[in-house]
Amino acid sequence: MHGTSNKHYDVIIIGAGIGGLVCGCYLAKAGMKVLIVEQHHKPGGYCTSFKRNGFTFDAAAHSFGSYRKNGNMRRIIEGLDLDSRLEVKRYDPSDIIVSPDYKVTFWADTDRTVQELQHAFPKEAENISNFVTNLINFRPIDFAILRKKTFKELLDQYFQNDQLKAILSIPVLGNGALPPSLISAFTGSKIFTEFILDGGYYTGKCMQTLPDTLTERFKELGGTIKTSCLAKKIEVKNNETKGVVLKDLGYISSKYVVSNSDVRQTFFELLGDGVARREILKKIDAMVPSLSIFTLYLGINDPHESLPDAGTNVWFLPDYNIEKLYFSAKNMTSDIKYFMMRFSPDKKTILAFANAPFRDKGFWRNNKQTIINNFIKKIEDVLVPGLSSRIVYKDAATPYTMYRYTLNYKGAAYGWATFPSQLFTPELRMMTPIKGLFLAGHWTTHTQGIPGVAYLGYDVAKLILKKEKTYRK
Amino acid sequence: MTDENIEKEIISIISDISGFDTEEIAPETNLPDDLEIDSIKAIELTVALEKRYKISIRDSDIPEINTVGQIIDLTKRLLSQG
Repeated sequence: MHGTSNKHYDVIIIGAGIGGLVCGCYLAKAGMKVLIVEQHHKPGGYCTSFKRNGFTFDAAAHSFGSYRKNGNMRRIIEGLDLDSRLEVKRYDPSDIIVSPDYKVTFWADTDRTVQELQHAFPKEAENISNFVTNLINFRPIDFAILRKKTFKELLDQYFQNDQLKAILSIPVLGNGALPPSLISAFTGSKIFTEFILDGGYYTGKCMQTLPDTLTERFKELGGTIKTSCLAKKIEVKNNETKGVVLKDLGYISSKYVVSNSDVRQTFFELLGDGVARREILKKIDAMVPSLSIFTLYLGINDPHESLPDAGTNVWFLPDYNIEKLYFSAKNMTSDIKYFMMRFSPDKKTILAFANAPFRDKGFWRNNKQTIINNFIKKIEDVLVPGLSSRIVYKDAATPYTMYRYTLNYKGAAYGWATFPSQLFTPELRMMTPIKGLFLAGHWTTHTQGIPGVAYLGYDVAKLILKKEKTYRK
Repeated sequence: MTDENIEKEIISIISDISGFDTEEIAPETNLPDDLEIDSIKAIELTVALEKRYKISIRDSDIPEINTVGQIIDLTKRLLSQG
């Protein structure tokens, strides 16, 4: 299957986010000739880091989950022999939720977390234990029970106390950008079990280590990656992919194409007119993307004891009406209500983010500084007294910035909004109706977050190897 | 639709979702162990069957499902109940 020509590959993957890189590694490992193209000048997608004024900041993704023994992320990394090279470290506690009446800590030891929740909500003690035990022990097929439900319906099955339900929902709102009444129970429960109960993992010195190490491994396995390389068109003939047209490099043929990029771009721009069926295009056009995020980056000159533990995600829940909080974020003007903040593992920076809607460049030009200052003041008022006097560098990424670097539609942080009605959209499965074209990444409507997209990338690789009849379990 | 046709069609749906060839799928095939049906594919499968046969799989039916044969039997039972 290996050829020497650089004008033909077995597989071309568009997008070097974590999904594209994992997919590329597993295909290259199986002996396929793979090209990954990325429009940005570095790999990672939402999992990148950057340097400013001597500080290193993670751009968006700041930790990941699902790395317990036999967790999906662990199995994927181990399968590429990268577990020791990545130096994965788990921060314990991974998450703390601060509300007006409670401070709930999520420890690496789930029993300890359960006990803490039970201590805070003694009347719900048995329900807490049942909720956590059931979710952790779900067999794959059991998730089918959740296919039409919202996370609120799932929580209501177990709990009476609205404060507890809000506390369990805030990380789901932050990591899924939807409140419990709108987010699917599948997504909500996956965020809760994979990101929170098994969260807090970090690689090397910054998150960029993860895509950089996957890229290094991909090259070792014989793969080719081209950054600053924009895909212009996916060539399709008789409903079968033939290759990809790249800016500057022109046409390169391939048997398979994996689009690990925005689905709207894939269908409306890369495939172009007359390729996908009209009803599919109409459906995609009517779908709602997730919210984006407004991310604050602060450089700190004096790591003071008022700061939370380095590496722990601290969530601020200002009140228990979580639906109202969501709509305040969706209609954001310049005020931040709920947010997450994290003192970096290197104890030099703070990353904080809040869900935010897409607005044009002009809006952010006029409002960015005000929002930055309001955000800092909010953190200072509710979590870190004296914060502003320790800041030596401040900047932020707006939803427009997210779009600019990753080309995700409307800077969506989590792909499509994961309403039950949008989850598992048959037209946006990994295997598309176009022969040879596969979708990976969070726009497939299946899952999101680093472990989610890593898993989808891995699964797409397996689907291709099954087609090639070279798949070995 | 005959029982045999339903069986063939369900195996074809499972093949499409799991990526395994129809020849590798028999009634006794275990969904998670042999076909790597994960939580995503479990939902895709349930949704595909509900749509194709206009049936509604209840929560109480789910715990009984482990094998391809059990999915086929459940579909037939729900179809016969109209």
